[in-house]
Amino acid sequence: MSKLDFNRRGLLRAGGALSVFGAAGPFVMQLAAAGVASAQTPSAYKALVCLYLYGGNDGHNTVLATDADSWGRYFATRNAGFDPIALMPVGTPPVPAGSISPVTGRVSVPISPEFWGGVLPITPSTPQPIPAGTNATTRTFALHPFMAPMQSLFNQGRLAIVANIGPMIQPITKAQYLAGTVPVPQSLFSHFDQQGAWQGGTLQASRVGWGGAMADLVLGANGANSVFTAIAPSGGSQPGGLSLYLAGQTARRYSISTGRVPADVIQAVQARALFKAPGGPGVLSGLIQNTGSTSAFANDYAPIVTRSINAAGLVNAAVAQGAAAQIPSAPNYVNPFTGYSIGNPVAQQLEAVARQVAAAGSLGLSRQVFFITLPAFDTHANQNSGQPDLLGQVAQGLAYFDSVLSNIGGVDYRGAVTTFTMSDFGRTFSINGSGTDHGWGSHAFVMGGAVKGGNIYGQYPTLGIDLGGFTNPDMAGNNLVPTTSVDQYAATLGTWFGVSPGDLATIFPNLQFFAPSTLGFL
Amino acid sequence: MSNDTRERLAPTGLATLATAAAVGGAAVKTFGGKPSAHATVASSVSASGAARFLTQASFGPNDLSIADVQSAGFAGWIAAQQALPLSGSHLDFVLQRTAAIKAQTPPGAVRPREFYESFWVQTVTGADQLRQRVKLALSEIFVISVTNGTVASYVDGTASYYDMLGQNAFGNYRTLIEQVTLHPMMGIYLSHLANVPANAATGQHPDENYAREILQLMSIGLYELNLDGSAKTDGGKPVPTYTHADIAGLAAVFTGFSWYSDNPIATGGTQTFFPPQKRGLSHEAKGPIKPMLAYPIYHQTTAKSFLGVTIPASASPDPQGDLKIALDTIFNHANVGPFIGKQLIQRLVTSNPSPDYVTRVATAFNDNGQGVRGDLGAVVKAVLLDPEARDDTVGVSQTFGKIREPVIRLANWARAFKASSNSGNWIIPTTSSPTSLYQTVLTAPSVFNFWTPGYSPPGTIINGLNLVAPEYQTLDEVSVAGYLNTMFSVLTSGFGSPPAGSTILDVQANYVAEIALAGNAVDLVARVNLLLMYGQMPAWLQTTIVNAVNAIALPNVSPPSALLTTALTQRVQTAIYLTFASLEYLVQR
Repeated sequence: MSKLDFNRRGLLRAGGALSVFGAAGPFVMQLAAAGVASAQTPSAYKALVCLYLYGGNDGHNTVLATDADSWGRYFATRNAGFDPIALMPVGTPPVPAGSISPVTGRVSVPISPEFWGGVLPITPSTPQPIPAGTNATTRTFALHPFMAPMQSLFNQGRLAIVANIGPMIQPITKAQYLAGTVPVPQSLFSHFDQQGAWQGGTLQASRVGWGGAMADLVLGANGANSVFTAIAPSGGSQPGGLSLYLAGQTARRYSISTGRVPADVIQAVQARALFKAPGGPGVLSGLIQNTGSTSAFANDYAPIVTRSINAAGLVNAAVAQGAAAQIPSAPNYVNPFTGYSIGNPVAQQLEAVARQVAAAGSLGLSRQVFFITLPAFDTHANQNSGQPDLLGQVAQGLAYFDSVLSNIGGVDYRGAVTTFTMSDFGRTFSINGSGTDHGWGSHAFVMGGAVKGGNIYGQYPTLGIDLGGFTNPDMAGNNLVPTTSVDQYAATLGTWFGVSPGDLATIFPNLQFFAPSTLGFL
Repeated sequence: MSNDTRERLAPTGLATLATAAAVGGAAVKTFGGKPSAHATVASSVSASGAARFLTQASFGPNDLSIADVQSAGFAGWIAAQQALPLSGSHLDFVLQRTAAIKAQTPPGAVRPREFYESFWVQTVTGADQLRQRVKLALSEIFVISVTNGTVASYVDGTASYYDMLGQNAFGNYRTLIEQVTLHPMMGIYLSHLANVPANAATGQHPDENYAREILQLMSIGLYELNLDGSAKTDGGKPVPTYTHADIAGLAAVFTGFSWYSDNPIATGGTQTFFPPQKRGLSHEAKGPIKPMLAYPIYHQTTAKSFLGVTIPASASPDPQGDLKIALDTIFNHANVGPFIGKQLIQRLVTSNPSPDYVTRVATAFNDNGQGVRGDLGAVVKAVLLDPEARDDTVGVSQTFGKIREPVIRLANWARAFKASSNSGNWIIPTTSSPTSLYQTVLTAPSVFNFWTPGYSPPGTIINGLNLVAPEYQTLDEVSVAGYLNTMFSVLTSGFGSPPAGSTILDVQANYVAEIALAGNAVDLVARVNLLLMYGQMPAWLQTTIVNAVNAIALPNVSPPSALLTTALTQRVQTAIYLTFASLEYLVQR
């Protein structure tokens, strides 16, 4: 027996962890989990809420650089194609449908940028350094016209932006990327693989996400009801994409409905009789949780059923009382320019999260990790009719959540809950006719009372593709080469959450290559 | 149309079409072992062997199909199935529903749910069961989804896409990939409809969406494969099949295709090239159901390089010629056989086929025995007749098999228990909610399907064994409860919505054959075991369910009354529900 084998077995015993990972599971996380479960004694409640934008949000039309040099290349490149996606300059009044825009000379329609008016200016509290290739004395910025609620949160100091972030193995320059001399994550530009890179980093090889890895560390502190440590509200009527984020070595994603009753109770188990057979419900309960099958598939199915049955009564009771029962309903999404109104899946999921936050005390939970999603950011075509309403849903959803958290049973929870965005990748700078294609670096948002908001962290890049003599040191072809690593972003969030530097080094083995290891937005 | 009449269209000796009760009764007497074959059966296939085969090759066995397989043998049944004409047209169905709906409410229009109805009609009642099952499998590889609002707005197009998959189920992959590529619903879903060439002045580039996903998901995958489906490695790392440059080159091929028109117009105010939602133009009615047309002036003419092939720059655009080179190149890539073959095995038989199994199926793809590459009929046959698929001793294997897809579970019920639709339209709306089945045909959340072929659930035994369980990707605390509640409701009151003017759900089973056996719990459970678990229900589970059934006392009344029928029905409901609920059923082995 090697020394490592000995340690592993000892820790498994000490932690009481189930040895379900087999020989393939990395033992390092189990080491970390056992070490911290005893040392960490959170004194107050904290939660991390990941808002995952499935499909790859176009960051270039989300956070914009509006200084003349940057804007010139942005507008020239994106005011092209048969359905141009270039947004209008700051201060441009909306053009009513049917009228001609003085900016573009085109007729405005409700799904064209002319109809929405100018981008919304924001001013970071720390002036952004001017990157090589950008000819400006001051860099100025703006948000997409559908994001007014986030402009407001930014101005109030509870929303920060992290610029040009992406999955990386080591710091890398454009030249290194083009020469292939520095390793990059496998299958850049592939949805599935980059979802894995964002959600799991190097852990994805062992099917662990970094949210789950952080949940592993707090299971002990959460005590008897630790099943509620890592929660994903269902995104509506469809399964999500890859949701690796909440998978830990021991921690499991616990799924809830977005309705007022979070757990779907198995009726036939709760019934007094099954088709008039008085013993039927008991028989049913036994055979749907049986782990004595000869099939691994069956034995792997059973624990989900068991969690479903055991947790349902607890969680449904916990949210039916006290402040959790008073969480205001998520408002509909209203298109800010047409008034068109539909349900807001972001707000609906955040409403479900808010109920869990409010119920955490009664369940004895001190740390939670949540994962909510919004699909359809893969705007290859007709981006004008897709992305704006999605960004609007994000903005209105976050503003709703900020408001709800400000008063849960008379307590301001905004400082205890940090919400942040992730997405598969950024998108191409140039247009393909009416949309954009898969890219790499992009911009992310962090919201909360603990966030040092009103600022942009990381280097906002030079914009523009290599064209007509212009050479951009930050873009390889059409794609931003990231200057901030997902590992740094996650480590900043993790540090706030209470994860030690040693554990961060275990969860993010490549963090050592990036300086600083945390970004300062918390 | 009833299940029975459609089934009888199958080319089977009528002699084997004994009455349902007789077949069931004769086949299920053995308790704790495999049921014996029906006495009149000529082939050596047992009833349980036939049922297990039909669990893989159809939407579930019933008395008639078990008899068919026993009569014809496995290969004979496949040959007969592959020779059957299509059992119906989804497009015709939704067009007729459109006409009926408009007649009732003039501005009315069909919605995706009318396509779902058509799915259930053919899935449950179609005599061409093998084609139906392969069609669903193909729809999870060549994915379009009505979660895309534009696709959803063309129910006729959606129906025609599903028809197209069925038409090609036993055809050649080369034809299938071309028809997939040119179908306007795929053109909308992966946005190569109205894709335009690069513009060097602005840096505008062709849409790369379809170019990427046709390679990653529909033909060759991310990594070079050996014939057995394993990835080729170089220095321990898998070897990528393509780079971003290949995607960019291939994207240029997929430019200049758009809506079909009898009179295509490329430019000007009446042009038919660009999508109508942007230009306010309406394409003609046939647009959503006819292959996209080439509009040469929108086709890129620069050199296009991909997968080791270069189409040189040309003075005049040749979209069809370039497309042929691209699809031939993809089709002839050595990965296609193992990549597509393994996924068909995963959809029909088992999540983790052995390398030898994949090799045999990929070999059939590469050459059907007559020198033809890409014969999907031969591939399907190889998948189902493989010794690994036909080994009935895997009932105790730890790793063989797969979690049954939720919609197939519901279809199992409808077929096994002779469900019929009162309206004839199988009014089953979406089952996509996690509190329902968490799956509806053609509603995957993305082109990556409901689940991906390589999904290995975190923290499971399967994961520890380095194996995959794709269908596990939609299992969670809500959806496992949703399934159990849905089936409880199905057994209690049927399924679907009530037709107008009725309060009874549209789809109702006929449990007459089961009720006839319900006086004897052992006989009843044996029949359910055959129909739902191909006679391989573990003995402990049989005992458990028999005891649960026997707990429902039969009233000692003479003559038999409604009271007795009620009790017998409750016994049947108990046996069937507990079987559907059991984890042993949920794993198809």
